[in-house]
Amino acid sequence: MNSPTESRHELNPSTRKAVGSRWTYTKRGYALAQSLRQFKRYKVASMITLLVLGITLALPVILLFAGNALQQLGMRNLEGESLTAYLHTEVSDLQGAEMAQSWQGKLGIRSTRFISRDEALALFQENSDIGDAIDVLGRNPLPGAIMVFPDSNTVSPERFESLVNDLRNQAGVARVQMDLRWVKRLHAVVSLIQLVGGLLAGFLTLTALLVIGNTIRLELLRRRSEMEVANLLGASSGFMNRPIIYTGALYGLLGGLMACIIALMAFYAIREPAHELSSLYQSSFQLLMPSFTQIISVICVSFLLGIVGAVSSLYRPSQQLTSRISNT
Amino acid sequence: MISFDRVSLEYQADRFALQDVSFSLEPGSFTYLTGHSGAGKSSLLKLIARLEKPTSGEIKVSNISYSTLSRRQEPALRKQMGIIFQDNQLLNDRNVFDNIAFPLIIGGYKYSDIQKRVNAALNKVGLSNRGADDPMALSGGEQQRVGIARAVVARPKILLADEPTGNLDADISAEIMQLLMQFNNSGVTVLIATHDEGLLNTFDFPRLVIKQGRLLQSANSTIDGFNQHRPTGVRRRTNKPV
Repeated sequence: MNSPTESRHELNPSTRKAVGSRWTYTKRGYALAQSLRQFKRYKVASMITLLVLGITLALPVILLFAGNALQQLGMRNLEGESLTAYLHTEVSDLQGAEMAQSWQGKLGIRSTRFISRDEALALFQENSDIGDAIDVLGRNPLPGAIMVFPDSNTVSPERFESLVNDLRNQAGVARVQMDLRWVKRLHAVVSLIQLVGGLLAGFLTLTALLVIGNTIRLELLRRRSEMEVANLLGASSGFMNRPIIYTGALYGLLGGLMACIIALMAFYAIREPAHELSSLYQSSFQLLMPSFTQIISVICVSFLLGIVGAVSSLYRPSQQLTSRISNT
Repeated sequence: MISFDRVSLEYQADRFALQDVSFSLEPGSFTYLTGHSGAGKSSLLKLIARLEKPTSGEIKVSNISYSTLSRRQEPALRKQMGIIFQDNQLLNDRNVFDNIAFPLIIGGYKYSDIQKRVNAALNKVGLSNRGADDPMALSGGEQQRVGIARAVVARPKILLADEPTGNLDADISAEIMQLLMQFNNSGVTVLIATHDEGLLNTFDFPRLVIKQGRLLQSANSTIDGFNQHRPTGVRRRTNKPV
């Protein structure tokens, strides 16, 4: 054994090599180092778990992103749409122009354009094959009309419908025309996708929680010796649980990241075919890639899922520890 | 330091691991806890370490009454104790240095203090050049010394040892005992559970003798109001320097 005179505080060179980084000897640093060490030690198992998590989370993420993209498509198409309010024939051109002027900036209307009866007739004769037939009548049967361009807040079918009703109730308006059927159908499809996506997201989130929970339970078994010793050395529950929670959080974080990568790859793969399909329908629709905020949100949610999965698996493990003192 | 007052531990109806056990150990004492396998030695150690709760009776350690001790206070109590196991319970996923540093990390010690204390503990147990080794690379005696270093590195007031020499030969056992006696000489209260007759005969210290869960009269003291004295004469089998 060493002489008592040997310096107590001078580190032996071989011991100096054994000392890890400063941060790993703090309570939180220790927990993080232990979590990372588990990933490093069980590389293959950790990668498989992360892939399972990534794929599980990727499906709802893809549906979420796709739902948003389709909703944007619906809104973008509505933005370019206009309504036509046909006036009673008794309404004079002056009155019609005043009405159009008074509607601007109200009722969710961005701008209006009044079309007088004469202008309407001219347009009809110019654009219709039966334009000459109207001469037989000997009078202009067409009413004046006001074209209404809604503002950017009035892009949902519900708001459009409400605007149509408001215009119908205006004095001098005979009827309001706007074909909302296809828009409603598109929104119904988008709503259905969002609902299915929501349900799937719920189920798959639960699956992700179970995967994380199961992984954490295995981790608890692996760390049982360490936790038992820590318990005997006076470690608090917080100290013993912290590496487990960090492991769950890491699984959540990396699983979310992997889900986003898979979703982005899927989007990239279908972007061009979607564009080709939309061009066949004379649409300028382009599948928008998910925004940075959306990606960060998904990773944050996944991170929280990891923590919840880990915490739910812990169930006060320090109470379940049995003493290593043998029965003598 | 440690006192038991009519403590019983019932593990099944009318089946007692310990029954009506009363004794007290003074600070700085060195005591054996002896008895056959299944006599209740481990149950007594578990009660001191608060790993079990008594069915009846009162336990006090360092004037802390266990009957009023909350779960949150248990870690602080255990930090006053160092526990040594027969199978040393080293963590094989880290080197010797980190095994010994573990209680200090739990205690929230500073990095510089951890280095100093672990180094001092390694020197004390004669393993100053083995800090970087894996525990599996050490011999049984060396592993037990690492276990002792880990138990004492945070300078506990009480050292509980459960068959610390159980797997070791006589010479190594003597070395381990010398180490424990050194810590005792620096004021640490030591309680060693053992049924190693060779050890008991070689190093003569007061004994608590347990049989079928009951405390019998010891060689050096009476049971009730167990009056513990610091050992004065110790017969040593080896003359190895410590």
